[in-house]
Amino acid sequence: MISAIQTQSLAKQYGSLLALSEFTLDVARGSIFGLLGPNGAGKTTLIRILTTLMRQTSGEAFIEGLDTRNQGREIRRLIGVVPQENSLDRYLTARENLELHARLHGMESKRYRKRIDELLELMGLAGRQKDFPDTYSGGMQRRLVVTRALLHEPKLLFLDEPTTGLDPQSRRAVWDYIRSIAGDMTIFLTTHYLEEAEQLCDRIAIMDHGRLIALGSTQELKDRLTGGTVYEIVFGAGAEHYAVILRGMACVLGIQVAGQTVSVGLERWECLSEVIAALNGAEVRRISLKERTLEDVFISLTGTGVRE
Amino acid sequence: MRLRGSLAIWLRDMLVLRRNIASEMVAVVAYPLTIYLAFGIGMKGYIGLVDGVPYGMFIAPGLITMTAVNAAYSESVWSLWFHRRVQFTIESYRVTPISVAEIVIAKIFSGFSHGLIKGLVVGLVIFAITPFRFPPSHLLIYLSFLVPGSAFFSCAGVICGTIMDKPETIGRVEAVFIMPLIFMSGLFFPLSSYPAAIIPWVRMLPTTALFEGARQALVNGSFLYGFAIQVGGTALLTFCAAVWIFRRKMAE
Ligand SMILES: Nc1ncnc2c1ncn2[C@@H]1O[C@H](COP(=O)(O)OP(=O)(O)O)[C@@H](O)[C@H]1O
Ligand SMILES: [Mg+2]
Repeated sequence: MISAIQTQSLAKQYGSLLALSEFTLDVARGSIFGLLGPNGAGKTTLIRILTTLMRQTSGEAFIEGLDTRNQGREIRRLIGVVPQENSLDRYLTARENLELHARLHGMESKRYRKRIDELLELMGLAGRQKDFPDTYSGGMQRRLVVTRALLHEPKLLFLDEPTTGLDPQSRRAVWDYIRSIAGDMTIFLTTHYLEEAEQLCDRIAIMDHGRLIALGSTQELKDRLTGGTVYEIVFGAGAEHYAVILRGMACVLGIQVAGQTVSVGLERWECLSEVIAALNGAEVRRISLKERTLEDVFISLTGTGVRE
Repeated sequence: MRLRGSLAIWLRDMLVLRRNIASEMVAVVAYPLTIYLAFGIGMKGYIGLVDGVPYGMFIAPGLITMTAVNAAYSESVWSLWFHRRVQFTIESYRVTPISVAEIVIAKIFSGFSHGLIKGLVVGLVIFAITPFRFPPSHLLIYLSFLVPGSAFFSCAGVICGTIMDKPETIGRVEAVFIMPLIFMSGLFFPLSSYPAAIIPWVRMLPTTALFEGARQALVNGSFLYGFAIQVGGTALLTFCAAVWIFRRKMAE
């Protein structure tokens, strides 16, 4: 089956700066794909190439099997784009913004009127459709841009940092909208919020300095972390004693003791029963799984946290 | 070539113009009218006849032409800059299945339309406050200069708005280049006022062909082929240049 997006050794050079290099990626149809990376990583550069706004310096990129270098018009028929900066026309009302976009897509007025009504309703903007976008809140403007991108029923939706600059509440609202509209569309979004990638995306690519550094589902990425699964055992007493016993076990990768709390890194979760057997007779108050976050993954891969 | 996209964008620009028509027109009419009142009427007694006609009549065609070409240039240059650098609307057009050429052609036509509409409005106002009457045939010949002239300035505006990223630069070009070019082209005085050695050079300016040709058309009803071809040819050349430059800029 043809992939929704496929790139092969894609590279982009701005003067002496290599903003994208050796970028090879495959995004399956119908998935929500997240591209996670700090500011300046090259996310927007990649989106601009994929949406035919910019030419790559070398390498290839295909959207639904169409080449970005010479099948731009065909590609643009299939895609909806939510750019990093809202590109709304402040001299047109919300509805007129949508109508212009529909005409540029060659939609018949009968069809686009109905579609605009439906989408404005779905996005909760119907009551404000005659207002100019600069009277909208940040979250509403973002939703209007998303509405515009969905108007022509694209097969693929690109979202470049859909929630940057929004307050947490509006951010969650945008996530809900994205989930509700996903259907069988392929969604490609970039973000520098780990939580956003984790909450929304089926698969995540992590990039920095123009390079792809990891790719997989949230779970796969977390599983890659060395140390496997980590459990926290809180003892009533005798933590030191049991720590020594546990440290001697084959499937225990590492141990940290802090007061009566022992963190045990296990190779696999299957080892847990062995650990529990070894704790027979101990005064155990609580055993809990310590969740690894995507942030841990990010730090282990890049050596730093996400730069804001 | 398909022009569906051009039509949609041009209609957008005309909708915005319609919406602000009252305030736009006040601003557009104020400037040429002030000049007209100051020179055409205030100085009338001192200047008398120029080239055989009253001074007010001598400058009227030029003021209309100036309004039209200035409006065409301003609209194109600022609109291109604003939609490219401030609103990023050009980018939102570029992710739809229309071509870059359709976008630039729409913008050229919008500037051209602004020029023509505003020029005609100033013409009507001058017509209303002066006793000069021109026969319709003169007006038709005059339009054969005004139309390519507005097109030429609109294309020039699109070129400047495409290559200039800073608003200061745009303002400077307008003050140092566009306005002097218009004023030097015999708007307020006949070409014969220039020293003989300079006249051939001044005549080579497309703006001279435009302003002289337009005046001769309106005042005397004469059609100066050479000037008409010069203005039309320049408009065609700048049109091609504008499309080419815009496409190149967008391919960066
Ligand atoms: N038009 C441009 N000219 C020169 N450098 C650019 C341009 N656009 C982006 N860059 C540089 O390329 C790098 C990647 O930028 P970008 O793709 O915008 O990253 P991100 O979207 O991940 O924040 C940055 O270092 C940025 O400064
Ligand atoms: Mg970016």
